[in-house]
Amino acid sequence: MEEQEILSQVVAIFKEELDNEEIELTMESTAKEVEDWDSLSHIHLMVAIEKHFKIRFTSTEISSFKNVGEMVETVKKRLG
Amino acid sequence: MGFIIEEIIDKIELKNAEHANKLRKNLAGLEAEIYPASESFFQKYYAYLEKEGKTIDFGIDCYLHMCDDMLIQRHKFIETGKYTSTSFDEVEKRVYGNEAIMTYHMHGLVLGQFLWFEQFERFKFFKENLIKYFPSQGKYLEIGGGHGLYMLGALELLPADTIFDLVDISQSSINLAKGVIDNSKVNYTLKNVFDISDEDKYDFFTMGEVLEHLEDPIAILKKLSNLIGKTGKGYITTPINSPMIDHIYLFNNETDIREVFDKAGLSILTEKIVISEHISPKLANKFKVPIMYAAFVEQKK
Repeated sequence: MEEQEILSQVVAIFKEELDNEEIELTMESTAKEVEDWDSLSHIHLMVAIEKHFKIRFTSTEISSFKNVGEMVETVKKRLG
Repeated sequence: MGFIIEEIIDKIELKNAEHANKLRKNLAGLEAEIYPASESFFQKYYAYLEKEGKTIDFGIDCYLHMCDDMLIQRHKFIETGKYTSTSFDEVEKRVYGNEAIMTYHMHGLVLGQFLWFEQFERFKFFKENLIKYFPSQGKYLEIGGGHGLYMLGALELLPADTIFDLVDISQSSINLAKGVIDNSKVNYTLKNVFDISDEDKYDFFTMGEVLEHLEDPIAILKKLSNLIGKTGKGYITTPINSPMIDHIYLFNNETDIREVFDKAGLSILTEKIVISEHISPKLANKFKVPIMYAAFVEQKK
């Protein structure tokens, strides 16, 4: 799966989990720029992404993603 | 010169800036109350560390290690809706029986008592109400002394001739409590509360953060109800949706806790519920954010 396709599916997950249809993400987006994406919702978002793509992140990855791009790249690697 | 807690947060920032930011954000607006209130406790903790040949850097490393564990546990909890351990034996082997894990976990919790505003809110609730429910003379029991904070609060507030007993099933926990409390008026015993004779009555018990470590919280509450009889009172805290390496019993909400009290024959005198982040109950429920519960109880009439 290509990065842009993964990104668009991640956006849909964010909209669903954060209950906000206005969310727009780019590969450079960070938690600071997205309303309600904070330490509370972060693990929920990660678990939702894991379930959707049927992959697992490590705990180190979950706590160290610096932006959406890093997350998307990790999903791409896991999907092989 | 600033407060010790400020030094601790500054040092945390050097090792984990994001976590320090989160702590400052959560403590914002409460500094004037929490910082002075934490000072004497952290002075005692610093003194204990010094006696042990350690510095606060050791405590901070323990705290951050515990936070890493919490992240892993939270990830699994959100995934499954369950705590990772289901039996006391399992946790005893993996955590209580492992000196290294127990040490960093206990020291981590020491710092959490004031770095986490929700812990402070419950301690404040305890101090505001303890005198109201304690007789003019009596016996005080604490189960699971841990960081020593609640015993220090009781020593400060209760009459000088009070008998103070502290029981714990972990020697590591007793060692830490003894070191931080540093008061010869307290009788420390390595003992399971079930091994206390029912004839040995107490006027008050405090049991902070114990129920979630047990397979059958009702059994211990019934035991404590017997120990305080018809006239005694107790103070209990336990968390909701709070995955940790040694938590077994999951309370999904405050109703679950009230039901357990009721089944054990205890009634609630007054209670305090604090969400561990500054968010609404609706959002806390949605994201299963830990909620801290505390109550003063007595036998049902």
